[in-house]
Amino acid sequence: MKKALKRWETVLFCILILEFVIFASANSKFLMPRVLFGSINDIIPTCIISLFVTFVMITGGIDIQAGSIVGLTSIVLGVSWQDWGLNIWAASLLAILVAALAGSISGYFVAYCGVQPMVVTLGGSFLFSGIALLVSNLSATESYKGISGFPESFVSLSKKKLFGVIPNQVIIFLALAVIAYILLHKTKYGRKIFLVGVNQNAAEYSGINSRLVILSTYVLSSISASIAGIVLTSYLGTAKSDIGATLTMPIITAVVLGGTLSTGGKGSALGTSLAAVVIGMLRFGLPLCFKVSQQYLDIPVGLILLIVVIGRSIANNPKVVAKFAKGRM
Amino acid sequence: MGQFKKLLKSHEVSSFLFLVALILLVGCVNPSFLQPTSILNCFNDSVVFTLLAGGIAFVILTGEIDVSIGATLGISAAVGATLLRDGSNWMIAVLTALSIGAVVGLVNGLGVAVLNIPSLIFTLGVNGVVRGMIYVYTKGAWVENLPPAYTKLSNQPLVGQLTIFYGITLAGVIILHFVLTKTKKGKYFIAVGDNAAGANLVGIPAVQTKILAYVICGVFAAAAGMIYTSRIGFITPTAGNSYEMKAIAACVLGGISLSGGQGSLIGASIGAVIMSSISRILVFLGFSSDYDNTITGVLLITIVVINTVTQNKAILKNRHQILAARTAVKTGETERKGGLQQ
Repeated sequence: MKKALKRWETVLFCILILEFVIFASANSKFLMPRVLFGSINDIIPTCIISLFVTFVMITGGIDIQAGSIVGLTSIVLGVSWQDWGLNIWAASLLAILVAALAGSISGYFVAYCGVQPMVVTLGGSFLFSGIALLVSNLSATESYKGISGFPESFVSLSKKKLFGVIPNQVIIFLALAVIAYILLHKTKYGRKIFLVGVNQNAAEYSGINSRLVILSTYVLSSISASIAGIVLTSYLGTAKSDIGATLTMPIITAVVLGGTLSTGGKGSALGTSLAAVVIGMLRFGLPLCFKVSQQYLDIPVGLILLIVVIGRSIANNPKVVAKFAKGRM
Repeated sequence: MGQFKKLLKSHEVSSFLFLVALILLVGCVNPSFLQPTSILNCFNDSVVFTLLAGGIAFVILTGEIDVSIGATLGISAAVGATLLRDGSNWMIAVLTALSIGAVVGLVNGLGVAVLNIPSLIFTLGVNGVVRGMIYVYTKGAWVENLPPAYTKLSNQPLVGQLTIFYGITLAGVIILHFVLTKTKKGKYFIAVGDNAAGANLVGIPAVQTKILAYVICGVFAAAAGMIYTSRIGFITPTAGNSYEMKAIAACVLGGISLSGGQGSLIGASIGAVIMSSISRILVFLGFSSDYDNTITGVLLITIVVINTVTQNKAILKNRHQILAARTAVKTGETERKGGLQQ
């Protein structure tokens, strides 16, 4: 299994290199660091969140509320800074705490009440985006305008570049990817996550507090969503309650494309990060190099997802498909 | 009496009672809500979600999920509306829309049932492709200037103030409900959702049933698209965006279990009414409609948690009773044996 996993990551890596070669040969601007890293802001939230949604999916769950938590973080940050007069970093911390609380509520219902993860996080996505809207009403600024005018130190979080080339967001993403990799593949906690995903009963009988492990994955994914929310707010310069609304589908796509089984028990941090970057580069390269309109980008991303899952399914059991084809003919 | 109790326990009845209680409660605060017009409007306005929820109910009953119905609604509405605008017969427009829905459903069904791909992931991919195709088809523009004869249809009353669309939808839902619960083929859906392997063993064609469920779901979404066209009067490329989540929520509110094999179409349509009435109810209670999502989320989570917890408790209680009965039989046997030996 491990070998297959490694193979899949190699495939992703090859796709990524292929993308670079094709896009660079079509338009040499693509490889300019300024252009390349300038695109990073559009894809960084998906990259960051999908890393930790991987944890949730390895336990056999799913998290479709992460997008709404991005908005909740952003607006809590904005309102507590502008209207409650908190220091911007204290406001960020508060936003992370709120997100962690939101994640633990959903995690509690999934882990301790045994409710289906899909339903709980569906409810959560309504609930938290609703709360975000209500919080935005607390502000003196009208909600559709968004809260702006953040201090220089906060905005520079996404404007500063290491060695004048690599933006801070990339460093945050790489750091989180390393943390996710170590947590998932090098610690006891990571082994527990995998075991819970393979067989929760067996995990419970072998002395793992499986419920707590499940709960913790939802908290982690929410915290990652809040970090993405802070980065996004800093980049946009405005705090709005709905900035994460369209993220859900890209996140799940990245996790699945990264080789995580939606039934649980299998997945990797490296695979997810590679997949997220592959999707991101596709969304960036197609408009730049082939003049594909932004609005059409759902098609290639959806097609990639479909091709990957169909290919994987046929590779896993070619007999079923052949049998069905015969029966039909 | 026994039958009555059973009826009370069924999910769709408890959803219906919940809806009645909700209406009465709002009526207590604001009596003008209790006027037949405003109650009937709750039903009339839910027609798009009733169709979406009714369609996806077939899929959920078989234990799968379909997150592409929002995009299916969008593309069939866009194509249907374009045909109408360009002056073609409304029959042709509707039939074209419905067949587009059927094709999308067929693709979903083949991927999920034949290729055995997890339904959430497969339909997610289809959702992306179909949503993109709406942009390609409409070139990102709105479809406007529809013939007024068609847009007027949405206000056409059938009986009293019940619109013709809701009347037809309601009739369809009731007929299909009885098909699902009373006919042999109809029961296949629930059987497959309850236990696909077991259903296969007793000779139920699980694969075909699932494909059929997806096709029905697609057709329902397309029908919802045509009604959406008539009600709204124009189609944007984002039409139906994230409606799939609301339709799933409506099913859950109507007592359908997402693990399959439990629930009914009537339940789904009641859930859709609850779901789409929330913003109207908020207005009557004097709140801003900004509370809409919050209330929906709270309702959804509360209902599901209560359902699951009571269900799990019942299962545990059952298990204890069986265990207790077994040990009672065993101790009885050993006592008897001991008596014989003496």
